[in-house]
Amino acid sequence: MSELGPIDEYQDLFENAPCGYLTIGPDGRISKVNATLEAWTGFSADKLIGQRLHQFLNMAGRIYFETHIAPLLRMQGFFNEFALDFETAAGQRLPVIANAAERRNSDGTVLFTALVLIKATDRRRYERELINSRSELRKGLAIERETAELREQFIAVLGHDLRNPLAAISAGARILQRSGTLQDDKELRVLDMMNTTVTRMSGLIDNILDFARGRLGDGITLSRDANRPLQPVLEQVVDELRTASPDRSIETSFAIMEPVNCDRSRVGQLASNLIGNALTHGAAYQAVRVGAKTEDGVFELWVANAGEPIPAIAMGKLFEPFFRGDIRSSRQGLGLGLHIASQIAQAHGGRIDVTSTPDETRFVFRMPLQSN
Amino acid sequence: MDVLTRNNVRESGRGLRAIVFAHGFGCDQNMWRFVAPEFESDFKVILFDHVGAGGSDLSAYDKTKYSTLDGYADDLVEIGSELGLKDAVFVGHSVSSMIGILASLKAPELFGRLVLVGPSARYIDDSDYIGGFSAKQIAELLEFLEDNHMGWSAAMAPSIMGNPERPELAEELTNSFCRTDPEIAKTFARVTFTSDNRGDLSKVTIPTLILQCSEDIIASEEVGKFVHNSIPGSEIVFLKATGHCPNLSAPAEVVSAIKAYV
Repeated sequence: MSELGPIDEYQDLFENAPCGYLTIGPDGRISKVNATLEAWTGFSADKLIGQRLHQFLNMAGRIYFETHIAPLLRMQGFFNEFALDFETAAGQRLPVIANAAERRNSDGTVLFTALVLIKATDRRRYERELINSRSELRKGLAIERETAELREQFIAVLGHDLRNPLAAISAGARILQRSGTLQDDKELRVLDMMNTTVTRMSGLIDNILDFARGRLGDGITLSRDANRPLQPVLEQVVDELRTASPDRSIETSFAIMEPVNCDRSRVGQLASNLIGNALTHGAAYQAVRVGAKTEDGVFELWVANAGEPIPAIAMGKLFEPFFRGDIRSSRQGLGLGLHIASQIAQAHGGRIDVTSTPDETRFVFRMPLQSN
Repeated sequence: MDVLTRNNVRESGRGLRAIVFAHGFGCDQNMWRFVAPEFESDFKVILFDHVGAGGSDLSAYDKTKYSTLDGYADDLVEIGSELGLKDAVFVGHSVSSMIGILASLKAPELFGRLVLVGPSARYIDDSDYIGGFSAKQIAELLEFLEDNHMGWSAAMAPSIMGNPERPELAEELTNSFCRTDPEIAKTFARVTFTSDNRGDLSKVTIPTLILQCSEDIIASEEVGKFVHNSIPGSEIVFLKATGHCPNLSAPAEVVSAIKAYV
């Protein structure tokens, strides 16, 4: 190479550059090509010169050249970073990335159009893989979304349909109770058990429906009413749970001195879920303690139980849906109770905090008395 | 929605009679930049972008509506009635030739003259009919379009589209014209190259001129003659201009051919 003179160097740079050079005359026909392009395409210069560029492109490239590249070159004088596919003399595809620029003289007439072509077999294959994987992902995502929606709709329908037979059992049990036909202790105990189970099950169904609604986009909806008293609602919740677990003790201390702007039945559901959780996980021989008060513009409801503390590993997951602690299977729920409770708390602009020590496990719900 | 905003309709010129220029696949109303101004002294000149192209409202792009040329023709009829067009001259390039024919069949009062530049009633060969392309080649084109982003970047698109008055936002992109969302480009290509309007040609009763280029690989002479022979009473003029876009490569020839006819 050292014996090449400066002019030869330019000549060599044109002919043997690591890219293809090609010029198109004002008549739209190829006027110059370099040796690199001859080698890549397998066509010698005399085969290329005088022909139209699109004759050496595949059909897609031809259409693209006519509908996009030629108009853009005429409008803005250049067109950069476009893809083209040549068809080589051997019938192979030669993918390139190209830049093109028009050269015009002072009166604006086109002298020639210069193209620089970079062989891009690997690059184009890589881009094609990206495009393919993107469309695969889109397909997969669409299927996933559809499945998830179907699943959630199924949960909603299931929850709804379970309510009716449960209402029938509940009504039947009430009729038996009122008729006074059952006298035997054992029979009365069965009736109690039926009532307990119905209460527990309707709580589970409420949670399922709330969960499904949350997932389906409606979220927890509130109908707040600050003017009506909250305490009777909480007392009723506790009474129901006492009936459902007659062998357990629930102690209450309520001091609700100011109106609480909340959805009373939702807060009742929250209390029911927290107390139900304490009854399930707390030590059976010690009372579950429930308290509520208003203080410094905040409503506070707390539920405490004795027994084994919550393991550290479980603390972070308590409020996740379908999380279930390590408990005997007969008492297992769906793992939705605490999740729904925290959703209700959030909907009220409040939160639930939990502390758990060997002495006591305590859930505390706090919300502002007035909503903003 | 405002039809004129949706289709980026531009009006200019001093004439009473209107002339509407419609762009084809690949670009936008810029295709007429060397032709349209020549008509401003005698005509009310109307330029527009098909929805999905140029400065049209991309949020109006409805994949179902625009999966047939009818959707585009409906837009053209809406533009015409919004502007109160009657007896106007319609100049359609490439696929817009057929869009104009469809619109004229839907609303016969709209146009009094049709000028079709490089028209094709069907691009894909069909037994005896030579459209110029095989179905396989068109399938390859649709795939190939994904290889060319045309200066389109999903990240940049909103800022360009939302701020036409701030061109500097677009400076880092390669092209100033014909930017198209590749998805839309692909759908438009499919509609264009799989269309078959041979059956509509004989219904045309408006005086029609066909401008046929030489060496046009998109719409060959054979294809142009087919359109000419199928539209009763139509005229055909063979241009010296080569390629598919004489409106850019030989605007003077196109202007004089249209002026001689209208």
